Amino acid sequence: MKKAIVILLALMMLAPMAFANAQAEEAKPVTIEFWTHEDANRQRLEERYIKEFCETHPNVTINVTRQAATKMIELVQTAFAAGQGPTVFNLSINDEYPYIVAGRVAPINYAAAGYKDAQAVIDAYAPGMLESVTYEGDVYGLPLELTNWCLFINKNVFRSAGLDPETDYPKTWEEVVEVSQKLVLRDGDILTRRGFDFRYPYYLESMVPMVEQLGGQLFSEDGKEAIVGKDAWVKFFEFMQNWGPNGLNLGSPTYKNARSLFNANNNDIAMAMTGLYQEARIKNDNPDFYNSGDWMVVPFPTFENAVNDTAACYYGHYYMVNGDVDEATQKVAWEFISYMLSHGEEYLKEVNIIQPTVALMNSETYKNTPYSAVFSQDFERGHIVYYGANSTEIQSLLKETVAAVMLEGLEPEKAYNQLKAAVQELVDEVN
Amino acid sequence: MVKYVGKLTVGEVLSWILLILILLFTVTPILFMATASFMDKTQILDMPYRWIPSSSYFKGEGRTFFTNFRKAIMGNNEDPVFLRNILNSLIVAITCAATTVLLASLCGYGLAKYRFRGRQFVFMAIMSTMMIPFEAIMIPLYMVASSMKMINTYQGMIIPFLVSAFGVFQMRQYLITFPTEYLDASRVDGLGEFAIYWKIVLPNCTPVIATLGILSFRNQWDNLLWPLLVAQSEKMKTIPQYITKFSEEKQTDEGAMMACAFLASIPMLLLFFALSKYFLGGAAVYESRKG
Amino acid sequence: MKEILQVKSNRTKAYSIERKQAKWGLLFTVPCLVFFSIFSFYPIINAFITSLTNKQALSRTSKFVGFDNYAYLFAQNDTANGGFTLWNSLRATLTFTIGTFIPMVVISLLVAVLLMSLRKDRQRGFLQVAYYLPAVLSSVVATAIWMIMFDPRGLVNQLSNVVMMTTGKDYKWLVDTNMLQASTMLVYFWKYIGYFVILFITGLAAIPPTIYEAATVDGSSRWHTFWRITLPLLKPTVVLVSIMAMLQCLKTFSTQYMFTQGGASRKPIDVITMNIYFTGIRNGRLGRASAMSIILFLVMLLFTYLQFSTSKTDDVEY
Repeated sequence: MKKAIVILLALMMLAPMAFANAQAEEAKPVTIEFWTHEDANRQRLEERYIKEFCETHPNVTINVTRQAATKMIELVQTAFAAGQGPTVFNLSINDEYPYIVAGRVAPINYAAAGYKDAQAVIDAYAPGMLESVTYEGDVYGLPLELTNWCLFINKNVFRSAGLDPETDYPKTWEEVVEVSQKLVLRDGDILTRRGFDFRYPYYLESMVPMVEQLGGQLFSEDGKEAIVGKDAWVKFFEFMQNWGPNGLNLGSPTYKNARSLFNANNNDIAMAMTGLYQEARIKNDNPDFYNSGDWMVVPFPTFENAVNDTAACYYGHYYMVNGDVDEATQKVAWEFISYMLSHGEEYLKEVNIIQPTVALMNSETYKNTPYSAVFSQDFERGHIVYYGANSTEIQSLLKETVAAVMLEGLEPEKAYNQLKAAVQELVDEVN
Repeated sequence: MVKYVGKLTVGEVLSWILLILILLFTVTPILFMATASFMDKTQILDMPYRWIPSSSYFKGEGRTFFTNFRKAIMGNNEDPVFLRNILNSLIVAITCAATTVLLASLCGYGLAKYRFRGRQFVFMAIMSTMMIPFEAIMIPLYMVASSMKMINTYQGMIIPFLVSAFGVFQMRQYLITFPTEYLDASRVDGLGEFAIYWKIVLPNCTPVIATLGILSFRNQWDNLLWPLLVAQSEKMKTIPQYITKFSEEKQTDEGAMMACAFLASIPMLLLFFALSKYFLGGAAVYESRKG
Repeated sequence: MKEILQVKSNRTKAYSIERKQAKWGLLFTVPCLVFFSIFSFYPIINAFITSLTNKQALSRTSKFVGFDNYAYLFAQNDTANGGFTLWNSLRATLTFTIGTFIPMVVISLLVAVLLMSLRKDRQRGFLQVAYYLPAVLSSVVATAIWMIMFDPRGLVNQLSNVVMMTTGKDYKWLVDTNMLQASTMLVYFWKYIGYFVILFITGLAAIPPTIYEAATVDGSSRWHTFWRITLPLLKPTVVLVSIMAMLQCLKTFSTQYMFTQGGASRKPIDVITMNIYFTGIRNGRLGRASAMSIILFLVMLLFTYLQFSTSKTDDVEY
């Protein structure tokens, strides 16, 4: 309602101008190239929004491109490199931040998006949610989703291993190992059921917090030193090595993604790390399992002797607008984004995606979503994922180092030195 | 000197063993794909693997014999864009195969049978393009394509692959052994140079046309990197892009992926069987010459 | 032999006529030259120029840095850049190329010869088609199939257990550094064997059978015939196939890429093209990636030159 009034006011202020140009504006066709990642649940909603938006804006054509999330990072970058970036796109913030720094994206057209100014936008969202897209006083993106990860537990698997899920669920990483050893089924050396497994391609989100629990850091406070706290990092690498096929053989990045197995309830995974949106996916893929109540969500574990209590980092996908396109197209693009994002409740209800506006976080819909309290508490414990000019590259370095430790048998200490040198080089390059 | 085992020589027995081992090696993964396309994701990893999907596989919640195939075609959102994607792949691959054969044979003929100045240089220059890794020129090529307004069009997918250096090379190697006296005889008969190429040379290289055609077809059928960049809308995507959807981290479904792979291989298989007589034809030429 | 001599004498007679027709030859190559200029020469020149700058994907400007990118790549020590050095990539590429292309050429030639000696056309036709089948599938499909089969619970590991007479052992096809490299070779071999067999058969079919007849009359053994007659006459095909196989192996990308996407460790199979892809397309360091492309280009040029100069087939044209 408030938003509608703001839009109305904005329109009234613009009216005289618009009147003069009305004919020209109306006739001028605008094409928006909209690139977003593949997600079947979301797609249904968005196709409808796009249709509705085009009906009210007959001069606008919206071309949608959907690609796999991991591919998207490369495609958007290549398109920008060739000077042909999409008009509207979204990536994870750590992959997106470099675009702001490089000046390739345009700040929000506040009027078109229905806000008075930058402060009005920031106030509309929960505290700190737009910090990562605020640069030199302007806001550059609006969140499509904000996600953190907790531990999903399949109670059936716990019971079949003689455990009581309500009391025996792991609170510490040591317990994750301990419980997993009880939960796994093997045929010789071959794992046929895993207790838990990590989210391997996402190290900044889920593994850096583990290092932080042990007292290590990705960067020093002044940002000049990389991979800080040798003991913590080495301990983390030892933990991962122990987890992998050359250690206790509890899991591996080469196995099928734990989270995508979880929904099927096929007795092959007991615990997976994932976000609130998983609930919508369980409901969609396996309604019986969803309704059975045989699953639950518990907080992100900590190490027994943790020095910091940190949960998984949260990360956001923000809609951004290409800075190369002309002013008029940018304006329409922000109108379009704002129209899609005006359906926050529906996004939450239908696909369990959180668009962290103040209004939504306090809504009944959010409170009534199962286990939303667990996620909220972990939000409090966690911080946003690392983002910087080189965050994409750092993500791959972390991935490859952990893979080398787990699979190739790289010694934790060597791994630490190697990672430190490589990340330090990136940092020195910027400074 | 020759030892016999039954009616076969020892050499023949050994060669049969080798041939059959390679047969098993090439065919097993394909049989795996075919059988797995009927199973759901847990059954695919059953130990030991069950080659014949048992009927109990189809009795699970709402599963039928065709569940995977249905999902392969309708995707996750009941949109049969799959068929359009197959059509796109076919259009691109067939066009590229045809133009490659024509342009490569013309150029290869020019290089093999005419001694013009700079011939060696032209040949070497074309050969050197074979050594360019595609990843290296992807971004400049993308700029060329977008400046020609070819993004999201068939032209964009076809034009950068109209001909391949390897095709020119293969044609040249083949035509070098083409008997020059035929060409001279045709000239005496009054045929023009282009007519000689069109009426004498081209009809006489069917085996190499078939192999080159199939290779170019396959290369485009297989091409993933380039379509990922230029074919952005759902309607313009090709089959490899469609299949990668099923291996996307968020929604891997091996059964449906295998079904999709299986369906997507059918046009290629049909085409291959239709053309296979040309390969066998090549061998038949050998047979007849052997007398 | 007689035939060949006759052709040779014809050639001298035809030489003057050929001169007049030479311009036609050039004309015939023009369409291809225009095509390659736009879609190959221009982009590679562009890549070379980029390799002399510090261009990054998202930056609007770049600075000329001379050969700094090349110097940086060659100066990397083992652990630089997380171990993803040019040297590691050269090692991975050469291991893959040698491990794939030599067995491929040898075995496909052997299979082609064996197929040609089969008594029944039907058998030969069937086997040829069956060998070629993997090439019909796209790489995406092929890798998807193999990734499932390489799972510890998958077919390959089951078979390994049967062959090695073990139970429940995990042969770590995607985990162990050496096994992982072998896996990529296996997939590649599987995919292309049929195609190379067919190339060889096309070449074998072009050999005039009169030559074999002469050999049979001479009473040479089959082995002898193969070494003394078939192989020398097959030389243009062997050169063609081996150059093609080698270049393809040096340029291999999709198998390795999809393996790493599937969670396999990148370092053991980080072939140059993949390093280029990650450096340029993923990390956006276009200058450095272009320098690597130029190095790969030169490596391939060198190998091809070596192969040409050691085989010298072009002299026995007619």
